[in-house]
Amino acid sequence: MEKIEYDAVVIGGGLAGLMSAHEIASAGYKVAVISKVFPTRSHSAAAEGGIAAYIPGNSDPNDNPDYMTYDTVKGGDYLVDQDAAELLSNKSGEIAMLLERWGALFNRQPDGRIAVRYFGGQTYPRTRFVGDKTGMALLHTLFERVSGLSVDFYNEWFALDLVTDNKRVVGLVAMPMKTMTPYFFKTKAVVIASGGMGMLYRHTTNSYINTGDGFGIALRAGAALKDPEFVQFHPTALYPSDILISEAARGEGAILKNIKGERFMAKYAPKKLDLAPRDIVSRSIITEIREGRGYPGGYVGLDLTHLGEEYIKERLALAYEAAKNFAGVDAINEPIPVRPAQHYYMGGIDVDIKGRNPDLIGLYSAGEAACVSVHGANRLGSNSLLDTLVFGQETGRTVVEFLRSNPNTPTSNYEKEAEKVVDDAYKFVKSESGVHFGEILEKLRDVMWDNVGIFRDEGGLLNAMSEINNLRDMVSKMYVTDKSKVYNTEFFNALELRNMLDLAIVIAKSALDRKESRGAHYRTDYPERDDNNWLKHTIAYLRGNTVEITYKPVKMTRWKPEPRVY
Amino acid sequence: MSQNLQEQEVVFKVKRFSPEKGDWWSEYKIKVDRFTQFTEALRRIKSEQDSTLSYRASCHMAVCGSCGMKINGEPRLACKTLVLDIVKKYNNNVITIEPMDYFKPIKDLVVDWDEFYDRMFKVKPRLYPSKEVLEEKAEHRLKPEDQKELWKFAQCIWCGLCVSACPAVRIDSEFLGPAAHAKGYRFLADPRDTITDERMKILIDSSWRCTYCYQCFNVCPRDIEPVTAIKKTRSFTKNYSDKSEVAKRGEKHVEAIYDSIKQTGKLLEGMVYLKTYGLIQSLTDLIYMSKTGKLKYALVQEKNVQNINEIKKILGGEKK
Repeated sequence: MEKIEYDAVVIGGGLAGLMSAHEIASAGYKVAVISKVFPTRSHSAAAEGGIAAYIPGNSDPNDNPDYMTYDTVKGGDYLVDQDAAELLSNKSGEIAMLLERWGALFNRQPDGRIAVRYFGGQTYPRTRFVGDKTGMALLHTLFERVSGLSVDFYNEWFALDLVTDNKRVVGLVAMPMKTMTPYFFKTKAVVIASGGMGMLYRHTTNSYINTGDGFGIALRAGAALKDPEFVQFHPTALYPSDILISEAARGEGAILKNIKGERFMAKYAPKKLDLAPRDIVSRSIITEIREGRGYPGGYVGLDLTHLGEEYIKERLALAYEAAKNFAGVDAINEPIPVRPAQHYYMGGIDVDIKGRNPDLIGLYSAGEAACVSVHGANRLGSNSLLDTLVFGQETGRTVVEFLRSNPNTPTSNYEKEAEKVVDDAYKFVKSESGVHFGEILEKLRDVMWDNVGIFRDEGGLLNAMSEINNLRDMVSKMYVTDKSKVYNTEFFNALELRNMLDLAIVIAKSALDRKESRGAHYRTDYPERDDNNWLKHTIAYLRGNTVEITYKPVKMTRWKPEPRVY
Repeated sequence: MSQNLQEQEVVFKVKRFSPEKGDWWSEYKIKVDRFTQFTEALRRIKSEQDSTLSYRASCHMAVCGSCGMKINGEPRLACKTLVLDIVKKYNNNVITIEPMDYFKPIKDLVVDWDEFYDRMFKVKPRLYPSKEVLEEKAEHRLKPEDQKELWKFAQCIWCGLCVSACPAVRIDSEFLGPAAHAKGYRFLADPRDTITDERMKILIDSSWRCTYCYQCFNVCPRDIEPVTAIKKTRSFTKNYSDKSEVAKRGEKHVEAIYDSIKQTGKLLEGMVYLKTYGLIQSLTDLIYMSKTGKLKYALVQEKNVQNINEIKKILGGEKK
């Protein structure tokens, strides 16, 4: 097998991966970015509303980073590690200004400084934005910046698995989709920044590429996931295409209505109404639909009509366009059809505040792939872009420290291990006939949506465990019909499915074990939050077909749990 | 929202390619409704009917630029196009899907991007801020109106549709192409940038190689108007000293058109030609024209339009 050597390898070319690579390359180390898409196609591009940032001298005069930390901790239903949330808040202004210096075209105030707007869950307005395409704007700025450094990009390369030696990462195997020839990347440090996993669910606002590859890779290498049961559903995804209609719409005054024309949020969150947190609004919408007050097909209306044409087109351009292009609805005259869809993954590869995984030396993670944890049980809007950049940077700097103190490349007989990685990948699709990936994939997405979704209970979760196990068995009969040796996407889709199945079983088991309701994890059989027994992080390992679960305490600094009332 | 989903069976004829087998066409029948995007139709074909079909798609909301392809001959983003809109437009439920023109096919609808990316990187697509700003000794201020102007062109998603539609790129290897020009102008016009001279050197000659056919304008899924970026780049020529022959001739051509209209109210081709290319070249070309029998067109006598003074007033007293 061909070998390529780097000081560090980053998996993922979105905001977190690029930021890590920037730090590593700027310190003079040799770094590669491996991405299954050209970096600007990463899911970071799809972020809309903005990035939260407290900028000294350019924020509400009453605001300060402590309010921001408090909002984040409360929003996350107290499962947030408070030291991490403090770091996120304290660095927020600095990181937004860094992107500005690099050319990000933030919307401006008349005096030329960066503008600000309100987002859900904020005590004071602190969301910085670029129109309604903030993610795209920041991703392009950062990619363009990093493409000017000596970073080697391996675009449209698929990472298969890590190679480890005695709990130390010594490299990974990846292959270019164009030629499908595997390469061994020998390296001292790997940063997994591969984003989220929305494709596990029938309905998701995520890109097609979000198949949770990094989670599968980490689990198979023996690293734990933290809080895997916490999956965020966004209340307003466009029906039927699941394109995100930003929370900014409700921020600007849009009202959710059922088929009777009732403002049903008055029933569920009398104070915050339509701007209650995402988990609460999502559950309310599903309840309305289940109780027969949704529209046929299963959706409710997001009514903007009272805002007027000019206001809608100026402030909610993307929502207006998306409704028009993808649902044939003119939001000036009729409500936008919406329903909840999977949106974000709070769980992720277990890392500390420095981006280090405790299980494997040399393994790091950042962005949605990682669980630091700053989002706890439910992420606040505008905090994910901030997370990618702040912890992308922190992680990159930690890797630099690691490389400085560990200048020697581990000696290891990687050849055999690397060959095994490739064998395992091909073994996964070895049958000559039988089922193919599409059949298993579609079944998995339904099982996750129906049983491991917005409402959960023991029966449904047990059913999900058994269904997922069946699908994992079916895989032994899976085959790839395409025999092409160039850009064989069927083969890569099958490998994505392997990652999805490894993650799915971990999510289902962790959700089954957490017998309480907290943030996005809602158990109808245990509807209350239970701080006495469950104020702790789930730590889940995958050993063969068995999910092993332990727990570790949440880091508390200054904020004591209180009831989460909105 | 109307409850009528207008479900209908549609036939997709997809142009396939593999290095092993060459070109062929595959046909798929699927049932779609009024909301089915092409990306979703392709995803269903792949997972339900033919998993060998290869294409690119990522965000399904027209911000990542992955899914450019030719649908009934038009370059489009598959995600931004609804299947039934195409059926209605062509009044035909048989639809062809092909890889984008100009790019080399790798597998089915997946094409090779290397040359496109080379062009994009040629324009140094990143801000070069001042040392003071990078060292945090100074802070950028950007006027809201400048932000608005730049953001229009910064929304390029590198989807390549404009390049696939551009005739000039195909015949002129010195032309950077519409996408690279949009990107280049976005930084050329940024008041925070410090390498304006270098950018002019990269962009100005190329900008005069565009033929203003407006294909990029027509196909851009983000309404960037690359041709507008090119026009605006040309206006930088007057501030640039090291002009190429192409740029000089371009400037002369613009001046000649201006003079012709100001003097006569009409665009007199002969006069513009003479001023753009000079006497010697024009005489050479006259000989060629007389040999081919086209001289009579060049020698048509035109009268000035009436109210020529009104035109002069509109164009202003001074040149430009």
